[in-house]
Amino acid sequence: MRNLLDFLVKYHYWFLFILLEVVCVTLLFRYNGYQGSVWVSSANVVSGKVYEAESAVSSFFSLSKVNEQLSVRNFYLERQLEQARRLYAEATQDTTALERQQQTLLSQYKLIPAKVISNTVHKADNLLTIDKGKVDGVAVDMGVACGYGVVGVVYLVSDHYSVVIPVLNVTASRISCMIRNRGYFGYLHWDGGDPTVAHVENIPRHARFKRGEWVETSGYSSIFPPGVLVGQIQKVFNSADGLSYRLQVKLTTDFSTLRDVCVISDESVAERTRLMRAAQDSIKKNKDQAN
Amino acid sequence: MSVEIIKRLVVFVLLCAVQVLLLNHIHLFGYATPLVYVYFSISFQRGTPRWAALLWSFFLGLVIDIFSNTPGLAAGAMTLIGFVQPMLLEFFLPRDAADNMPVSPITMGYGKYLSFVVILTLAYCLLFFAVETFSVFDWLHWLICATSSALLTVLVVVAVQGMPNSEKSS
Repeated sequence: MRNLLDFLVKYHYWFLFILLEVVCVTLLFRYNGYQGSVWVSSANVVSGKVYEAESAVSSFFSLSKVNEQLSVRNFYLERQLEQARRLYAEATQDTTALERQQQTLLSQYKLIPAKVISNTVHKADNLLTIDKGKVDGVAVDMGVACGYGVVGVVYLVSDHYSVVIPVLNVTASRISCMIRNRGYFGYLHWDGGDPTVAHVENIPRHARFKRGEWVETSGYSSIFPPGVLVGQIQKVFNSADGLSYRLQVKLTTDFSTLRDVCVISDESVAERTRLMRAAQDSIKKNKDQAN
Repeated sequence: MSVEIIKRLVVFVLLCAVQVLLLNHIHLFGYATPLVYVYFSISFQRGTPRWAALLWSFFLGLVIDIFSNTPGLAAGAMTLIGFVQPMLLEFFLPRDAADNMPVSPITMGYGKYLSFVVILTLAYCLLFFAVETFSVFDWLHWLICATSSALLTVLVVVAVQGMPNSEKSS
């Protein structure tokens, strides 16, 4: 007994070492599938505050560039709107209908403006943190977009901060999208590497489209409204199994300079998600029973 | 004793801040990131209690993890370094080393100090990037990332180590 105690005292650091490593491994493997671990992510209050201060400083230095981009974008959108209005008026001789339609579409979605306070693009599984949380109305599985296009999906939410899974995440990001004006849809997937290029998988073989056409969200995923810009088709490949096309897409969102984003909150989404989950669960149950 | 702890705490906070706010944004050629906080574990003086070295290392790693959204990654690797450091240090001691000898080029000699730092840093970087790229493992990418980051880290550590010494001598 005494020898045992001596042994324990002499080698106590071995046990401490093993204990700490077990804690680390547990953290490492549980985090990805575990929604409750806000405190070990950059969504906790302390790291959130630090990153907020940092991004306040760094965003100050990029203000002029952001301003420039915004004004260019604003001009572009204004022109587009003007054109659309003119075309619509010519077609229907009714100038107020389009405005009404737009307003009802937008009132369904509430936009929560947010700032990106920490961001990476060089890893395989990138995450970004924004400065809005539960208190501001952000919830898990909401879509995030910026003026240039789609950004990602909210993954973890604390009171004042949230972690977002951007398109640039190899394991977790799958966003449903389609080719504009063609209707063929697939899902957006990033393979790592270049942060400006991603792939759209599962476009059917009979689809007809051209290089240079635009890809946008389909609205099927219930996270994004239809029509949020994703990117432009650069190259077309066959998929590995040869059953579908695989499009290489140049993303319109520049993730390396991302700063101002909007969280898209749709009141009807919660209901749709619940329905989807229930459907998936029952399919799974049927499968289990069949086995 | 408590002065030592406060000193250590200041270095702890400084290393965390520098790593999180500055060095984590550096990706030289898309590969090399200096992971300078490993210096904290390298510099435990001889005779530091083993449990203290382990706990310090673990918590430093954990704080880095919290800020960079990689729970368990740096903490695990740092704990290992905190575990190995006292053992490895025994091989690099000069003949008449004091029981509480600090780890520095002056007490150990530049050659020994440098190889000690290089070995621990390289070990840390290899482990860190191995676990980080666990899901999409690519040998070449792993080796390039780890060795280039280790090189950069050693450079920064040696540069920083040089500064207080030059102050002392002047």
